[in-house]
Amino acid sequence: MLVGTADPARFEKQAPTLADFDARALELRDCVFVQALSEIDAAGMCEMLPPALHPTLPPVVGWSAFEVPDSEWGGFRFAELRIECRSGLRPRGLLVGCVVDSEAARCGLAARFGFRAVLGEVQIARAYDETRLRVARGGRLWLDLSLRAPQRLGETDTQFVSSLHPAHTPLGFRLLQVDVEHAVKRAERGRLDLAHFDAAAWGEPAIRPSLALPGVVGRADLSIRPIRFVCRADILAFEGTESVLAADGAR
Amino acid sequence: MKFGIFHELATPRPFTAENESKVLQNALEQVRLADELGFDTVWAVEHHFLEGYSHSSAPEVFLTACAVQTKQIRIGHGAVVCVREMNHPIRVAERAATLDLISGGRLEFGTARSSTWTELGGFEADPDRTKQDWDEYVRAIPGMWTQERFSWKGNCFSMPERAVLPKPMQKPHPPMWVTVTSPGTELDAAERGLGCLGVATASLSEQERRTREYHRRIQSCEPAGLVVNDQVATLNFMHCHEDLATGAKRGMGFLGLFGLLNSHLLFTREAYPTTAYQSLGGVSAPAASKGGGNPGAAYGVPDGVCIGDPKAIVEAIKRWESVGVDQLNFLVNACEVLPQEQVLESMRLFAREVMPAFRRGGSVRPDVGPSTTDRAR
Repeated sequence: MLVGTADPARFEKQAPTLADFDARALELRDCVFVQALSEIDAAGMCEMLPPALHPTLPPVVGWSAFEVPDSEWGGFRFAELRIECRSGLRPRGLLVGCVVDSEAARCGLAARFGFRAVLGEVQIARAYDETRLRVARGGRLWLDLSLRAPQRLGETDTQFVSSLHPAHTPLGFRLLQVDVEHAVKRAERGRLDLAHFDAAAWGEPAIRPSLALPGVVGRADLSIRPIRFVCRADILAFEGTESVLAADGAR
Repeated sequence: MKFGIFHELATPRPFTAENESKVLQNALEQVRLADELGFDTVWAVEHHFLEGYSHSSAPEVFLTACAVQTKQIRIGHGAVVCVREMNHPIRVAERAATLDLISGGRLEFGTARSSTWTELGGFEADPDRTKQDWDEYVRAIPGMWTQERFSWKGNCFSMPERAVLPKPMQKPHPPMWVTVTSPGTELDAAERGLGCLGVATASLSEQERRTREYHRRIQSCEPAGLVVNDQVATLNFMHCHEDLATGAKRGMGFLGLFGLLNSHLLFTREAYPTTAYQSLGGVSAPAASKGGGNPGAAYGVPDGVCIGDPKAIVEAIKRWESVGVDQLNFLVNACEVLPQEQVLESMRLFAREVMPAFRRGGSVRPDVGPSTTDRAR
């Protein structure tokens, strides 16, 4: 059985702090979303994950980006990189890094949901034949990918997997389980062309994409649910998962 | 009720020749014992690249060894991946017919399309067309087995008129099955007159619903082959011990590890957005959907699993019988978590204390043979 071997302390650096577990969901209506995955070199796949988690076979990373037309912080765009993994039996994605183009949204996402986010530029450019996602910060290009030759998918044909966000919490340093519900209104699959990926900029220089997988672009209502579970990073999720809900579901 | 043992050939790390060989030799010893004890079928899956979880990448070779070391147990080639990049249909027909001959007409022929990106991606197969490939295979292969010379023009493959040889021993041909992971595949099986070989651990209530619909639909099937196989088999886990707690503890030990290894695979839907795969699949998918999203949730002994003492196992099997399941296929170990002697003793106890409750007249030795229905096309 493969299991993560990274020092948990590594994930504490730059991890955001939650003063409390906010009971409010965040509703984001009519967002454009982009989701793309790539297999990565298997060498070092365990060294990228804390001991709580298991790698997938083969190891995979995923980029997601969202264009949010309006929110309590106004309109904004954000992009994230995750390492797909398993927490116990469950599919999850460990957040590596996140870029947000609005300071208010960056602060809000970090404080409420533990997004380890920096301020930067996120561009989603849609055309009939391709969708292009570019992420940059301070003049440095972090990501440039395209999804080409779109094919229509059904609204339930895309798999969305919950995230794990390293964060300091009232319970101590934990991996937050962040569940995002996607009500998909339209989805198209496209062939991934990864023109540029700066792994070090995102925060995990050992990631080496090897085989691009098809991605999806579409439109959806998102609901980021209040945090329900957190997990210690240093022991398996079977033993290290804690509920932040009281027995009656209240906080 | 029929009973089978089911081999994934789960292998502990490191993947040394010694460990690989031990798994194979232990599995063969289990098959020989199963034959002596009156188990009906030994099944071996086809999987590729599934580290630890299943090293059964050449099941036809393993099953040939099973065939020559046994006398009565049926040989379940279950299932052959019917995807063009992985197995050419002519080679599938040839290998299966040869295995049927070597086994003296004991072949059960299972078909599948693979549910993981780990495998499909490894062969650069297109997930969008695996079901179409499978459908073409199950219609073409019976013709290769039964027609003196065979030709085919299809979407997946074509061939000019040739004699596909040898022909199988069983006439008109061996019973055909399809593995069922995704909900709805049981209907594909029913509509084609194929046996339903469940490989995901559906709950009893879910199995009852699926079995009822399967039996209803197969009444009006258009058979893919020349015979209808209307049996429903499902995967289960078995460890039998005189003491309930000991049986449960040992059984959950290998069941838990097997589920964990399975969950680490990359299922097609997770990696490849498509209409062609509607569920994550895998034996752990039902468990992963429970517990309200809590990765730490204790799953406990799944409903209807056959681990514990003989009394508990008889009760569990009666429940499967009551929902219309004809055959239970048991995983009896994984990654050699249980010492081989414990596995063999569990099988002996099962045969002594459990099997007689499900045999006509209390006889341990079943009437072995294909329970298929001849149906002229």
